[in-house]
Amino acid sequence: MSRTATQTAEDESTTVSEVDIEDEGKVDLSLLRELGKNGLINALNSVNGVKTLVLDPTVAGPLGLLTEVSLLKQHGVDKMFWLEAGPLTATTTNIVYLTRGKISWIKIIADQIKRHVKDGTKHLYTILLVPRTSSLVSRVLEEEGVLGEVTISAFNMQFIPLEDDLLSLEHENAFKEIWVDGDETAVFESAQALITFQKLFGLFPRIIGKGDSAGRLTGLLQRQIKELDGGSKSDKLLTRSDKIDSLIILDRRVDMITPMLTQLTYEGLVEETLGIKNSYVELPASLLTTAKPPQGTSQVDANASPSLATPSASTLQKEPKKKHQLTATNDILFRELRDLNFSGVGLRLNKTARRLEEDFKGNLKAKTVAQLRDFVGKLGGLQSQQQSLRIHIGLTEMITPSTRTEVFNKSLEIQQNLLSNYETSTQIAAIEDLIAQGASMQLVLRLLCLASIVTGGIKTKTLEPLKREILQSYGYEYLPVILALSSPPLGLLLPNPLPPSAASLASTKIPYSNLRKALRLVNEDPDDFDDPADISYVYSGYAPMSVRLVQCVAQKGAVLKVGEGGDAARKGKGVAGGKARAHPIVGWKGFEDVLESIPGETFDVAQVGPTGTEASIAQTVASSLLSSEKSSTTVVFFLGGCTYTEIAALRWVGRQNKGRRILIATTGIVSGASIMNSLAGAVSSGAASKDTTPQL
Amino acid sequence: MELEHPTTSWQAMQDGNVFYKRQQLYTIHEKMPRFEDHIVAGARFGGPIAIMRDSTKMIALGGGVPAVAKDEIRVYSSSGEGIVLFTLNQGRIVKFGWTLDERLVVLNEEGTYRVYDLQGDYVQYSLGPDASETGVIDARIHEGGMVALTGALTLLEIKGWDGSRPLTLASTGLTEPPHTWSIIPPDLTISRHTEVLISPTTSTSILSIDNLECIDQRLSRGPFSHLAPSPNGKSLALMTSSGTLWVVSTDFQRNLAEFDVTSKVDEGAIGTPRQVEWCGNDAVLVTWDRLALLVGPFGDILSFIYAGPTFVVNEPDGVRVLGPDVCDFIQKVPLASVNVFRPGSTAVSAILYDAWENFSKRAPKADENIRSIRPDLAKAVDECIEAAGKEWEPYWQRKLLNAAKFGKSFLDLCNPNDFVNMGQTLKVLNAVRYFEIGIPVTHAQYLYTSPSHLIDRLTNRSLHLLALRISTYLSLKPDSVLKHWACAKIAKSKSTSSAGEADTTDDELCKVITAKFRSVNGGVVSYAEIAKRSWEVGRPGLATKLLDFETRAADQVPLLLEMKEDKLALTKAVNSGDTDLVYHVLLNLYNRLPLGSFFRLIEDGGAALAPASKLLQVYAREQNREMLRDFYYSDDRRVESAVLSLEEATKIPDPTSRITAIKSAQKFFSEDKERQFEAKMMDESIRLLTSQQQLEKEADGKIDFFGLSVNDTVTTCLLNGMSRKADKIKADFKVPDKRFWYLKLYSLTKARDFEGLDNFAKSKKSPIGYEPFVHHLVEKGHRKEAAGFVARCDASKRVDLYVECGEWRMAAKECKDRTKLEELKKRSPNDTISREIDSVASMLK
Repeated sequence: MSRTATQTAEDESTTVSEVDIEDEGKVDLSLLRELGKNGLINALNSVNGVKTLVLDPTVAGPLGLLTEVSLLKQHGVDKMFWLEAGPLTATTTNIVYLTRGKISWIKIIADQIKRHVKDGTKHLYTILLVPRTSSLVSRVLEEEGVLGEVTISAFNMQFIPLEDDLLSLEHENAFKEIWVDGDETAVFESAQALITFQKLFGLFPRIIGKGDSAGRLTGLLQRQIKELDGGSKSDKLLTRSDKIDSLIILDRRVDMITPMLTQLTYEGLVEETLGIKNSYVELPASLLTTAKPPQGTSQVDANASPSLATPSASTLQKEPKKKHQLTATNDILFRELRDLNFSGVGLRLNKTARRLEEDFKGNLKAKTVAQLRDFVGKLGGLQSQQQSLRIHIGLTEMITPSTRTEVFNKSLEIQQNLLSNYETSTQIAAIEDLIAQGASMQLVLRLLCLASIVTGGIKTKTLEPLKREILQSYGYEYLPVILALSSPPLGLLLPNPLPPSAASLASTKIPYSNLRKALRLVNEDPDDFDDPADISYVYSGYAPMSVRLVQCVAQKGAVLKVGEGGDAARKGKGVAGGKARAHPIVGWKGFEDVLESIPGETFDVAQVGPTGTEASIAQTVASSLLSSEKSSTTVVFFLGGCTYTEIAALRWVGRQNKGRRILIATTGIVSGASIMNSLAGAVSSGAASKDTTPQL
Repeated sequence: MELEHPTTSWQAMQDGNVFYKRQQLYTIHEKMPRFEDHIVAGARFGGPIAIMRDSTKMIALGGGVPAVAKDEIRVYSSSGEGIVLFTLNQGRIVKFGWTLDERLVVLNEEGTYRVYDLQGDYVQYSLGPDASETGVIDARIHEGGMVALTGALTLLEIKGWDGSRPLTLASTGLTEPPHTWSIIPPDLTISRHTEVLISPTTSTSILSIDNLECIDQRLSRGPFSHLAPSPNGKSLALMTSSGTLWVVSTDFQRNLAEFDVTSKVDEGAIGTPRQVEWCGNDAVLVTWDRLALLVGPFGDILSFIYAGPTFVVNEPDGVRVLGPDVCDFIQKVPLASVNVFRPGSTAVSAILYDAWENFSKRAPKADENIRSIRPDLAKAVDECIEAAGKEWEPYWQRKLLNAAKFGKSFLDLCNPNDFVNMGQTLKVLNAVRYFEIGIPVTHAQYLYTSPSHLIDRLTNRSLHLLALRISTYLSLKPDSVLKHWACAKIAKSKSTSSAGEADTTDDELCKVITAKFRSVNGGVVSYAEIAKRSWEVGRPGLATKLLDFETRAADQVPLLLEMKEDKLALTKAVNSGDTDLVYHVLLNLYNRLPLGSFFRLIEDGGAALAPASKLLQVYAREQNREMLRDFYYSDDRRVESAVLSLEEATKIPDPTSRITAIKSAQKFFSEDKERQFEAKMMDESIRLLTSQQQLEKEADGKIDFFGLSVNDTVTTCLLNGMSRKADKIKADFKVPDKRFWYLKLYSLTKARDFEGLDNFAKSKKSPIGYEPFVHHLVEKGHRKEAAGFVARCDASKRVDLYVECGEWRMAAKECKDRTKLEELKKRSPNDTISREIDSVASMLK
C-alpha cells in the first residue's frame, strides 16, 4: 500500500444499525429471487419423471445463488453434470440441458446427442435455454442434424440478488460481447430484466444516464414498455414507483479508467488476487471446516479463550479447494470488512478478535444460573462469528503476501502517478520493466490502457516496441487482443497521433486532465481510510469516475467540494439522524458541461405511465412533495459490469445522506483482470473447470 | 302466460334428496342427419357438433333429414343450425374432435392432421415419419392435444395445436389393437401429464400408460366395452362385456359403485350401450338407441326415453343429449335451485321468493315472510341471485332476480355487484343461447371458460357485431373482435374487387380498418396479423400499408420476410434491439439469397445494419468460418481476415499448416499500409516457429518448443542446458538485456543452477541490478544463495536485504551506527539474534 492509514476509534456498528432503522419503504429484492426460483421449478417440472441435469458452468454459478441442490432433487433431478466436451453417460431417460444459447455449448450438446444415437442409447432431450429460446439455437441444432431429437424451452433467469443492495444478471461476458463482438444481446436482456423489475416495483420516474450503449438500453426500455400490449401490462407498469426516485444507467465504456486500476478494498482485493465467481471464492478446505469447538459444559468451564489460530498461508495454497460464498447476509463481519480499504482490515480483524475474546470470557463472570443461561444462549452466535473471523483472517493472510510483492507495489505506484499525470513517460518505461520482470499479461495490459486513456494515446514510437515486448513475452497469438483493444468501439490502447484510418477513434478519447479537476477524481490528500470523508478511499486516493458521475446526480455536493457529505456525517455521528437530507433528483443539472465533454450519449428522460392523465400527473406531484419526508431508492445500473470497488464507493454514497438508498444493479461483477481475460478468451480457449459434479 | 314451473323437469333420486333435471334446450326436428349412420363429435361448453358419414354403414336416403356427402364433415350448432361444411380431400379419416377454441381437428390414417376453424380454413401438421409409415389406426382427441395409436401399436402424444413434435409414450406391449381405450387429459391427472388407459383384447386388465411407464392394473373383470374418466379425472366408469357398469377411482384403489344394466332390458337396454358418459362427477349416463339411463352413486336409476339414437356431449356440469328431435341438457339440480323451488322447502331463499310472490299479489303475507327470515335475508338474496343464474328460461330468471331485488330493499347495507353482474351475465347468456346463435352455455360453464372465451367463440362464427356489442357491454377490450373482423373484411373484399382497381381499394380498405380501430379502441391493435392476412389473400400493397401501423418489431419482421422485404425486415429487426430477431432474419436470408447478394445487402446497410453484420460474424466465427472468410474477403477487411487466420492458427496442431495459416495472416496485414507493425510481428512469429522446429529437431524431439512464446523458448532452452541456443534466440529476436537477465535469473533459479547463476551474474554488470536476484532467490526459498548477492547491491539497502535473507549478523555488520543497530534489534525475532546484534554493537565500539 503506498499510503498508510491512521486509525480513529469509532463504533463500527453504527453504520449497520442505521441501515436497519431506515428499513421502511425498502425495495424487497427477495421477490426477484422467488421469481427466479419458481421459474426454474416450473421449467424442471415440464419434464416428467427423473432426469439428468447437465449444466453450463456459466449458468451453474448464478443458479447456485437461486436454489440449492436439495430443491433440484425434489423436482426429479437425479444426477448433475457439467456441460463439457466429451461423451455423456446418463442413466435416466430424460436429459435436461440448462445452458445459455451460446453456439459453442449447443455444439457440445449436439455432439453428445449424436454420440448417443450412434451408440443406440435412447434418451429424451430437453434444452432449457437461459434466458429465452432463440432461433439461432434451433438453427445450429438443425445444422448439426439433431433438432428433431430435442425439445427446446426456456428458463427466464434475470436479476439475481447477490446482497440486499446488489442485483446482478451474472452475465459474465457482457463487456466483451457488447464492445468487442458487437453482440448486443446483453443490452436486450438488461432491458427485459429492468422491465421485470418495474413490473414488481413500478415505473422508474426518471431515467438518467451516460454512454451510447446505455442510451440504446434506455431506448429499448421505453420502446418495450410501449409495445407491451394492454393485456400483459400489470398495474405496476402503469404507475410511477413511489419507492424509487430514478434509474441511473452507466455503460462500462464511459469509465474505463476504474476497472484498469487495482482494487484496494477488501472484497476488491480478494477478487484481484483469488478471484470471486458468482459470489463464491475458492478457499482451502481446512479453512472452512469448523474446527469443532468444545461443546456444552466443557466450553463453559474452559478458561482459555478459543484458539483463533489458522494454518499458515503457505500451507493453505496446496490444500484441496472448497467453495465459500462471500455474502453479508449471514456473515456480519464480512459486512463490516468488505468495503474497507485493505489497509484497515488488519486492525478491524484485530478488534473483532479482542471483542470476541471478551465475549467468551463473559462466562467467567457468570455467577448465577440465569447469567449462565444467557451466556449459553449467545454461544451459537459467538461461535459462528468466530468461524467467520477464522475465514477472514485466513483470507487476509492469503492476500497479504501478494500485496507485498515488488510487481504489485510498482504497479500501484505507476497507477497513482498516471492518474496524477505525473511524469507519464517514466511510467511507461516502468511498465516496460514490469514486462521484463514477467508481470502477468492482464496487469501489463491494464497499465498500458490506463496510460493511453489518461494521456490520450501513447506515442507510436514508444507504443510499438511495447507491443512487441508483450507479444514476445506472452506469445504472438495475443495480437488479436491488442488489436481489439486498439480498434473501435473500445479504443483503449491508442497510438498518438492516430493513423488516418482510425480518425473516428479520436472522438472516443476522454479529456482526462480536465475531468480530473472537474470531477475531483484524484484526492491528493487522502485522509483517513478507516473513516473516509470521500469515495476516493477505495483506491487510496482516486475516486472512481463512474461513481462520481452517479454523485453528479444523487449527491451533487460531494463532487463539488471535499467532504460536504462526509463532514456532515462525521459531525452528526453522535446524534442519530444528523445526516444531511438527500437533495431531490434533478438530473445532470450543474454538470452538463462536464458530461458533454465525455464521449457517449447523455440523457435524462422522465417516464410517465402510459395513461398520462391529469390524475397521474397530480399523483406524481403529490409524490414528489411527499418524497421530501419519505426515503426513496435510487437504482444504479451498470451496463457491462461493475467492480466491487465501485459497489463499495456507492454504498458509501448511500450512507451519507438521509432519505436516499442506493440499489446497485449490473450485468455482472467485473475486474480489469476479468475484462482482459475475457478478451483473451478466444486465445486461451476457455479452460472450464473439470469437476464432474457441480457444486451449487 | 305462466310457463311450466321449473320443478316439472326435475326427477328425484336418493329418496328425494337429490334431483336431476332434463332441460329441453332446442327442438331440432329433422335439422341434423340421424346419428346412427354417422360419426359425430361434439365440442364442450355448448359448442358445435361435427358430423361425418360412417362409410361402413348403409344410409337411407330421403326422410327429410339432410344428407352428408361422402367426403365432407358438416358442422351444426346445438340448435341444429348448419355452421360450416368442410370438404375433405385426404386419406381415410381416423378421428376428429374439437379443441378448446372450437377448431376441429381431423386426423387421417397417414398421420396428418388438419385443424379447421369455423370459417373452413385449416392448418395441416403431421405426426411424423413413423406414424405415416405404419399408419394411424385410432386416436383420442381432447381440448389441449391428442394421443394417436399407430399401426405399430405405439402411442404418440401431441400437446397443443401448433404443430409440436409428437412425443412417444411408454411402450404398451400390445400385440393387437386394444378393445377400447381412453385418455385422461393432463390438467386432470396428478402428474400433470396425459395418462392413457387401455383395455387390451388379450387380457382382462387395464393398462395405464404415460410417457415414462406402462402399468398393468391387474384387474380380472375385463375386457371392457367402454371406459370413461369423470370430468374431474378422479373416477372412472367401466362397462364390462357382461353389462355391468363399474365405477372405480382412477388409481384403481377404491371401488365406488356397481350396477347391472341388464336389469333394465325391458326398457330398451339391449346390446352394447352406444355411449357411457359422466353427468357431473357422481352420476353416469349410459345410452342405447332409444334409452338413456342415468345411474347415480348409490345405484339409483333415472331413465329417459328418446325417439331415436342420441349423441351425448359431456359437459363439466352435466351432459348435453342430442336426440332426433331435441337437444336436452341433463344435470344435477344445483343446490340454490333446490332450495328455492323444492316443494315444501323451508330454506330462506324459498321464503323470500314466496314473500315476493305474495307482494306482487299484494298479499300481506309478504311482510310476515320477510320478517320471519330477517336475520338471514342477505343469504336469501344471494341464493335467489344464484338460482337465477341456473335457470334457462328468462321468465324464471326475471322472477328470481325480482325476488332478490325485493329482498335487497330490506337490507341496510348491500353490495349490489353480484346482482348487477348476474343481470348482465344473464343478458349475455340469453343472447347467445338464442337458437340462431345456438350456444347453450350454462352459467357455470360461462364462468369456467371466461367471457373473453365466449367472445372469441362468437367471432370465430363471424358474429362480429354481436361479439363487439357484448364486449362493449361487458367493458372488455374489443381487440380480438376487431382483428378478426378486419381479417374477415379483407378476405371478403378480395372476391369483390377486381385486380385493376386493387390499388384504390387498398387505400380505402386500409382507411376503413384504421378508422374503425381508432373509433373503438384508440388504435392499440396488433396490425401485424391483419397485414399477414391481407398478404395471404394476395394483397401485398394493403399488407405493407397496414404493417406500417404495427409497433412491435417481433410481429412485423416475420411478415416482412415472407413478403421478401428483406432490407426492411433486417432494419426493423436491428432497430428492435432483439438480437434473436436479427438472427432470425439473417439466417433466413442466408438460406434464401445467393451469397453475393446476401453480403451486399449487409454491407450496403452501412452503420444502420452494422449490428447485424457483427452478429453474423459472431455466428459465423463459431459455426461457419468458410462463410466468414468469404464475407471479409468480399468486403476487403484485411485486418479481420488476418485475425481470423490467426485464430485458426492457434487451433491447428500440425506445424506446417499452422505456419501456412500465420503466413496468410501476415499477407493480409502486409496488404494494409497501416498494419506494417502487425505484419512484421507475424514475420517474427513465423521465424520463431521455424527456429522452434529446428530446436526440436536438435533435441531429437524430446523437448517441446513449438508454439511457445519467445520468453518460454528462452526459458526452455536454459532449463535444458541449451544456453547457447538461448543466446541465439536472444540475438535473433533482439530480446532486450533486461528481460533476458530476468529470464535467465528465473530459469537458473528454477534449475537450482546456483553456480551458473553466479557465473552469469559475474559475466557483466547486471542491467537490472542485483536486488532482483536477492528478492527472487528469497521468494523461492534459497535464502543462503540470496545472501551471496547482497554484497553487490547498493550499500544503503544491504541491511534490509540481509534481514530478508535471514542473515541478522551480516545485517548488523552492515550497520554503520548505533541508532540503526537499535532499530535492527527491535525487529529481531528472538533473543539469540538480539544477543548477536549486541555483540556486533560491542565490536562497533
